[in-house]
Amino acid sequence: MSDDAKDEAPSDEESGSGNGSAGPPIIELKGIGKTYYRGKERLDVLKDLDLTIAEGSFEALMGPSGSGKSTLLNLIAGLDTASTGTIRVAGADLNAMSDGERAKWRASTIGFVFQTYNLMPVLTALENVELPLLLTNLGSAERKTRAKTALKVVGLEDRMDHHPRQLSGGQEQRVTIARAIVTDPKIIVADEPTGDLDRENADEILNLLDKLNQEFNKTIVMVTHDPAAADRATQLRQLDKGALK
Amino acid sequence: MLFMIPLSYNVRSLLVRKTTTVATALGIALVVFVLASSLMLAEGIKKTMVSAGSASTGLVIRKGSDTELSSGTEQKNVALVLAAPGVKKDGEGTPIGGGEIVIVAALDKLGTDGQVSNVQIRGVPGNVMKYRPNARIVDGRPAQPGTNEAVVGAGLRGRFRGLDIGQSFDLRKNRPLNIVGVYEAGGSSFESEVWADIDTLRNAYGREGLVSSITAQLESPSKFDAFRGAVENDKQIGLEAQRENAYYEKQSEGTSIFITALGTLVAVFFSIGAMIGAMITMYAAVSQRSREIGTLRALGFSKFAVLFSFLFEAFLLAVVGGLVGAVASIGMSFVKFSMMNFTTWQEISFNFEATPGILGSAILFGGLMGVVGGFFPAVRAAQTNPISAMRA
Ligand SMILES: Nc1ncnc2c1ncn2[C@@H]1O[C@H](COP(=O)(O)OP(=O)(O)OP(=O)(O)O)[C@@H](O)[C@H]1O
Ligand SMILES: [Mg+2]
Repeated sequence: MSDDAKDEAPSDEESGSGNGSAGPPIIELKGIGKTYYRGKERLDVLKDLDLTIAEGSFEALMGPSGSGKSTLLNLIAGLDTASTGTIRVAGADLNAMSDGERAKWRASTIGFVFQTYNLMPVLTALENVELPLLLTNLGSAERKTRAKTALKVVGLEDRMDHHPRQLSGGQEQRVTIARAIVTDPKIIVADEPTGDLDRENADEILNLLDKLNQEFNKTIVMVTHDPAAADRATQLRQLDKGALK
Repeated sequence: MLFMIPLSYNVRSLLVRKTTTVATALGIALVVFVLASSLMLAEGIKKTMVSAGSASTGLVIRKGSDTELSSGTEQKNVALVLAAPGVKKDGEGTPIGGGEIVIVAALDKLGTDGQVSNVQIRGVPGNVMKYRPNARIVDGRPAQPGTNEAVVGAGLRGRFRGLDIGQSFDLRKNRPLNIVGVYEAGGSSFESEVWADIDTLRNAYGREGLVSSITAQLESPSKFDAFRGAVENDKQIGLEAQRENAYYEKQSEGTSIFITALGTLVAVFFSIGAMIGAMITMYAAVSQRSREIGTLRALGFSKFAVLFSFLFEAFLLAVVGGLVGAVASIGMSFVKFSMMNFTTWQEISFNFEATPGILGSAILFGGLMGVVGGFFPAVRAAQTNPISAMRA
């Protein structure tokens, strides 16, 4: 490489690794700190953390247990508030919002995928997927149509009347993904989405996330311990003791 | 849009926890049953007592007496009262009415070992059936005027020693009354009396020349004021006229208020237990489902939506219990109940009287217990922190 070429070399953030189409920043964290107190003991889980994530990026967040990955993800998703710093996600200043405002914002902006699926056991697959649409102004027929479409995306349209206990772990997680995308949110957060699955089912989930990123241009932030999962991401970040490396 | 958690979520969650749901609902059902039954009893008492009287009948007693039992006036005043304006007359121009004497006798109650209870005995003139048109002989025959024959009300028949056709009892030593017939009087409290000849009764008790009350049929209810004016005009005689139905309503008031108050008190007392039951059940539900609640909050459902959802669940649970209790209490309307009327010290038999109003308010009371018992659990549910709920 010549010196000239070196000067013009684009930065990581601008190019990504070629998978998703990286756009303008959609997540911007500046000087984020998160502190817990256990009695008198002070626990700085996140320390002066800066993070910018481009729209359309597929990010993997790795790090040892207790390093603060879930804490960081919850801040991005508007489930938690930072002790210090500013968080802008999809144009919203999360620290300035009330609890109720953040709940509304989450419903329209964030899709959640959890390690333990967290489906409602008494509702069918279709009803579970429809749940987030009850927070929109859509009518019943339109909600059903959209929920069915989302189940089709994850390949479970033939299981829509099944209850979670009638589904395998991999199928449950696919229903969770359908629920996460049914409102067409800009961002999907996934906390160890393959943590409870075998290799085959894990790969299927990763294929789906890949598809959401590439075909539907969703920004994905995924916490994982699984190196194979991390490989699918366009950007890999390592968290250690509350700081990004 | 309400942005609410679907109600089917609560219905099905209740169905999943069958045992606790049924146990909690039964507790509430019991309270609603007690409440509805006592309101039905109070209603039955009122109806029985009030139906004894008619608005177009005047009842005259001595001024200042609350009841016929404590009233007394001279026989000659009967003619005065019956001559007052507004009193209805028959084809021959005879006024329809008469003077009566009321006494209370202690008789042996059957089916108990030697228990004694008060029975009201009414000494009536020969034309009693004329001015009490809702009374009629349903078994045996009418009593012969001027003899020691008597007829017994259907509500008392066979419940005391000597109170059935062909039997007799002693008013006093060697003063027997022979029962020759049974009468009905539209289910009113008259059915809990014995009707005997007025002179026979007066002789037995040494009250010759006296009556307790004077009853007169009026031409129409609107004639009462004129009738009353004439009757009460002579202050020396000291009589007081009331509409017969108003008199009996007053007689039943004390007892029905007492039953309502007692029933409500017992129901409120029980309801504390049932509400604690509902509260425990709902607390258990909230802690069992904390992960689900946390997920709902993460998905964007508001605290209010969660609060409402669990309040609704508790309400539903309680209303189902309330319905069961109310339906069970309808079964009570087939039960006859006999008790002392505290105003007249007389045994009267009643029916439990179910009305839509009573059943509706009892069910509503059940639902209210659910809302009260479910309130704090619902508040706890609403305060669920999604992060810690999903971490667990
Ligand atoms: N509510 C809390 N109160 C006190 N400490 C907390 C709280 N929540 C998290 N922590 C602590 O913060 C640290 C980071 O937790 P976090 O869940 O973010 O870790 P993680 O990187 O996701 O770990 P894992 O890989 O095991 O999921 C841990 O030491 C944890 O004990
Ligand atoms: Mg974690």
